[in-house]
Amino acid sequence: MHCAIIASVKLQLTKDKAIELRLPRGAGAKSASDITGVELFSSDPGGCPAVRLVFRKKAWHLAAAAKVKAPDGELPACWEDTPRQPSWELPRDFLSPHAALAVNSAMGAFAQSTADAVVQEMATGVASVSEASAEEKSDSGKKRFGIKRAPGAPPAKPGAAPAAPARRPPFPAAGEAVSENGRRFVVRPMAEDGFHLCASLPEFQTLWLSRLLPEGRRPTASSIQVAESALMASVLLQPEFRERDGNALAVFVTRNAVFFAGYRRGEPVLWRRCPSVGGSLAMRAAMRRTLGLDEELVDSVLDEALIDPRPALEPFVRPVLAQLELALAYLAGKHGLKFERALLMGLGAGAAHWATYAEESLHLRLVSPNPFEGLVRDRRVEVDGAEGYLVALGAAIAGAEVSL
Amino acid sequence: MKSSSVHLNLLKSSELLSSSPVRLRVMLPVGATLACAGLALWWGILFTQLVLAKTQAQAIEDDLAAKNKAHAEAIQKRDLARELKLQLEQLEGYRAGVRAVGAPLAKLAEVIPLRVQLKELSFTPLRAQVLQPPGAKAPLFGPTENVETQKLVIAGLTTKETPVVSLMESLEDGFEALVTSERKINSFKQDSAEADGRRLLSFEVEYTMPARRFAK
Repeated sequence: MHCAIIASVKLQLTKDKAIELRLPRGAGAKSASDITGVELFSSDPGGCPAVRLVFRKKAWHLAAAAKVKAPDGELPACWEDTPRQPSWELPRDFLSPHAALAVNSAMGAFAQSTADAVVQEMATGVASVSEASAEEKSDSGKKRFGIKRAPGAPPAKPGAAPAAPARRPPFPAAGEAVSENGRRFVVRPMAEDGFHLCASLPEFQTLWLSRLLPEGRRPTASSIQVAESALMASVLLQPEFRERDGNALAVFVTRNAVFFAGYRRGEPVLWRRCPSVGGSLAMRAAMRRTLGLDEELVDSVLDEALIDPRPALEPFVRPVLAQLELALAYLAGKHGLKFERALLMGLGAGAAHWATYAEESLHLRLVSPNPFEGLVRDRRVEVDGAEGYLVALGAAIAGAEVSL
Repeated sequence: MKSSSVHLNLLKSSELLSSSPVRLRVMLPVGATLACAGLALWWGILFTQLVLAKTQAQAIEDDLAAKNKAHAEAIQKRDLARELKLQLEQLEGYRAGVRAVGAPLAKLAEVIPLRVQLKELSFTPLRAQVLQPPGAKAPLFGPTENVETQKLVIAGLTTKETPVVSLMESLEDGFEALVTSERKINSFKQDSAEADGRRLLSFEVEYTMPARRFAK
């Protein structure tokens, strides 16, 4: 069912003055008490991590968690791929009314930005270098985004008159998804004035994702998020986060990147990707390369004390800790937040070593709670490698509009 | 705090799909079609009921007209039957009122004494019946009075008184259909006529005849 819900009414009082009245949200947008979060197109070979959260007896329950079979086909890389739309169905345990999909897309973007940067991004319609290259590769002269481009069109001459300036799109309302220049954008204000969290995906990928779960069968998509956005929400139910009244610093280690997130009274104040550092895959590669290990032995080396992994691990962790120190300084200087403890999320094996290095260099205690802490786990739910479910869990928590 | 501050949902509200197997976009047309079909059915039922009612009303009107006609005919026949019955009753009254005097008169010849000569045997005239009373649309079938009385006048000549007495005695028995016992001697006197050298006596006796009754 398509729900065309009017979210606000704008009244033009005078030529220069207008007021906007926010209307209560409709049934399709209200918070869900039974929701499935799924991480799509992760590099996890086991499938798509999926969790099902159910709110009952005043607590969130983990009703199911498993790696489910990925949908047929690939995430489209251009408009021409969108007709190949698969229909995806989840296993019985995940047949909740709603699903929050978190997607790993090379063309997706999630960043802490200023309003000008957001508008600039919306005006250009290209959010990343990888997407720009993909645009060039797929440019075959066909009409795309409503613009006909000649395949061999020569570049503009240096002496030629500059093209007319592109239309400056209006800054979108908070939480309202808007389409601009072939991309879907959504913006949320951060706790710090002037900064916003901005997520975007190509329009064709958003449309493809919105139709992935068929209508009339459980679940249907109620939320589409980029994976980093879901990651940021994954700590909201953590007891550590709640005990400190939402003031927290979290380090998210994914397979390909490391992110820092800061929260003040539950509101995000920092989101930053650690520059020049890969994720856990890079760390494991460094371990294999430096110590001459097979992949199967990496976890053993990281978790046990038989072999000292410091020669391989420290060169990888030190730059992260240096950036973490900057983040701590930023949060302390800008927001008055001083942390003695920080959450280390998403890192399975090796977390103890990271904590040791952080304690040594920053006097910061890195705690690595189970991602499912704060949830009442149903008896039949057994999960191995809970760190792999962080994005799916965050997608469900964000999609359920969980209160602190 | 609400997680909505970190919920960056790229899905537009217009793209939300319902997981319910009952879809509004399907159920609305189906419901509208069913409502229209229901209305059409209801209208059809009403129309059929109207046609049936009209047919029944027409049948009742036709039946009523036929019954009215039959009723009029029945009333007409009843009136006719009543009239015929009245006529029959009148005829029966007439039949009952028939005065059979042939046999008594024939017998009278046998009981006339030798010395009596009848000169006249007459009935007094009946009073005229009013068969067309004033204001009546049709004449009456029968007399207005059910009982008629007449007188039989016997006049004759005789030689002496005894034969007349003998005649009157003879009429007392066997002539009940002709006369009653009520009689009156109107005259008994000397007549100018003679027989065998003797002057005859004339007499006139008036008998009351039995009442003539026009009734069953």
